[in-house]
Amino acid sequence: MRRYRQAAGEVAERPERSRWRAAKLADQLAVGYGLLVVGTVVISYASGAAGWLPDDPARMDMARLNAPPGGGHALGTDFLGRDILSRLIVGIQAYFLPGLLAVAISLVLGATLGVTAGYRGGRAEALVTYLSNLVDAVPRLVLILLVIAAFRADIYYVMLVVGITGAPAVASIIAGKIQFLRTKNFIEAAHVLGLPTRVIVAKHILWYNCAPLLIIQATLGMGEALLVETSLSYLGFGVQEPTPSWGNMVQAGANYFFHGKFWPSTAPALAILGTILGFHLLGDGLNKILETKSAS
Amino acid sequence: MTRPPVLEIRDLRTYFYSRAKAAFSRSVDGVSLAVAPGETLGVVGESGSGKSVTALSILGLVGGSPGVITGAIEFAGGNGHGRRNLLADLERYVRVSERDGRIVAVRKNEAGWRARVERSLTGVRGKEIAMIFQNPKSSLNPFVTVGQQISEAIRLHTGVTNASEARERAIGWLERVHMDSPRLRFDQYPDGLSGGMCQRAMIAMALASRPSLLIADEPTTGLDATIQSRIVALLAELQSEVGVTTLLITHDIRVVSRLADTVAVMYGGTVMEHGPARDVLATGLEPKHPYTAALLASLPSAQNNGRRHAVDGRLPVIRGEAVDTMDVPRGCRFYARCDRVTDAIRERCQAQEPVLGAVAAGHRIRCHLHAGETRPD
Repeated sequence: MRRYRQAAGEVAERPERSRWRAAKLADQLAVGYGLLVVGTVVISYASGAAGWLPDDPARMDMARLNAPPGGGHALGTDFLGRDILSRLIVGIQAYFLPGLLAVAISLVLGATLGVTAGYRGGRAEALVTYLSNLVDAVPRLVLILLVIAAFRADIYYVMLVVGITGAPAVASIIAGKIQFLRTKNFIEAAHVLGLPTRVIVAKHILWYNCAPLLIIQATLGMGEALLVETSLSYLGFGVQEPTPSWGNMVQAGANYFFHGKFWPSTAPALAILGTILGFHLLGDGLNKILETKSAS
Repeated sequence: MTRPPVLEIRDLRTYFYSRAKAAFSRSVDGVSLAVAPGETLGVVGESGSGKSVTALSILGLVGGSPGVITGAIEFAGGNGHGRRNLLADLERYVRVSERDGRIVAVRKNEAGWRARVERSLTGVRGKEIAMIFQNPKSSLNPFVTVGQQISEAIRLHTGVTNASEARERAIGWLERVHMDSPRLRFDQYPDGLSGGMCQRAMIAMALASRPSLLIADEPTTGLDATIQSRIVALLAELQSEVGVTTLLITHDIRVVSRLADTVAVMYGGTVMEHGPARDVLATGLEPKHPYTAALLASLPSAQNNGRRHAVDGRLPVIRGEAVDTMDVPRGCRFYARCDRVTDAIRERCQAQEPVLGAVAAGHRIRCHLHAGETRPD
């Protein structure tokens, strides 16, 4: 049997190279920063939920209203003398779980629609395109305000809307990916192997090939949810005082901004900026690292 | 021919409907073939002769919603499944209107038809009938390691559920197909493997479920010439060792001549000649179908420096173009390109399609030239 041994011509073309190490420095930095932000948010959420805070976020210190940072308050106090750092940490509660809910809704709904559209094509695809156009045609904030007017100012209703309106975008990305993948032989080969269609769709298409896409969409979705929550709270439709939210903190502090007391609104504003930037950079960096190679 | 065939295709017709032209493309038009146990049947023909569609019809993989599939595909699986027709009951979902023996309209319950195909092929695909493709690189999922994909096939079709046992078996099969350093390759992605290695992995995956029938659809296409000959050598070795019954589909006559016991030559959706490989592929041996003769004549030959049949230093070609399956002529499909038509049979060639008649034991030819020699098989 020696003569059937493979010769040198039939060897691997190049060794495996880790995608992370092959990535550009800028993308690595973006993902690193994003992971730092996500880590901080998760840890802060957990410590807020467990009550491990530098100070009681509801305790008012009437002697120190709008006090600058220092003197036991690392980020100063707000107009009622409450510790801003503690309120920032507790403020994560306002969007973290609702945001996850919104992301889960848009991913599950979007993946289902996208798989149907991409795999079936024809009418299903036309329907998804139509839905996506419909959702795009209505400004999201207006839709949310409508829902708030019709029901009540509950963050979970809002996130339901955010989740549903986010689904068509996910669906069209997944559908596009599946249409691209369907031209590949390995999907047909999987059918020949006798795998049931649902296994092929769930495992070979969604799990192996779309998982990075879904993760990217999830991080972008979290950023989006945070932005919606803070905008609404800033406008007074979201989380209500005295429960802290970054949005209503910015709003409350804004009244004193031009009196030279910039810290009560600057700290939550910077938190919003840094966090949304983190989520987006993470999504963008992952997109560049995970997706560009697989498309080739 | 005493043992019943593993696969018997009778009068298979696979027509695709083209909305743009409002006509049927008769890709496979009345094909009958049989593969005996342990035998390799080679199906040769040029592009568009319907050989791949025949293979895909067996596994219910014809995409693009074919207008109609009729006939019978009887398959006798190894594991006590008994003989059954893979196309059974499909006629319930299709209503065909015919005029002058030609199908003119089809009404079809697409969803029911598809579900029926899926049902009748459960337990057959991958387990009883395995298939390998051309362009092996794109037949493997690029995001899953080669080993995982083979293990998946093993766990799906053999009783093995233990991950490490599946791994050992997969590595065993990789060794069997002479994959170089199988343990290393097991954990690699298809990305890092060459085309030949991917095809070896595909063969390992196909054979791992011990199928009763292996369909090899252009297994060497898309590979380098040297790799091609190694894959052919591997298939030959596996045939003698594992003894798997194979339906080999290729346009490469040299591959068929090395691997096949029986050969069917297809043209324009029908079988033109069918018989033992040594009879069909022998040059100069008569009787022979004019199309087979022309195919053999157009092969370059190494022995004579590529000039065996050369005229003016050029290889002979078959003039004209392949028959349009949308508009099949009434008479012989090969008539327009045939250079052996004599005045005596010209009229019959134009008007009447010849039948596949036996000229020797097990050797049948579809040509009016040999109609006189035809005797019942």
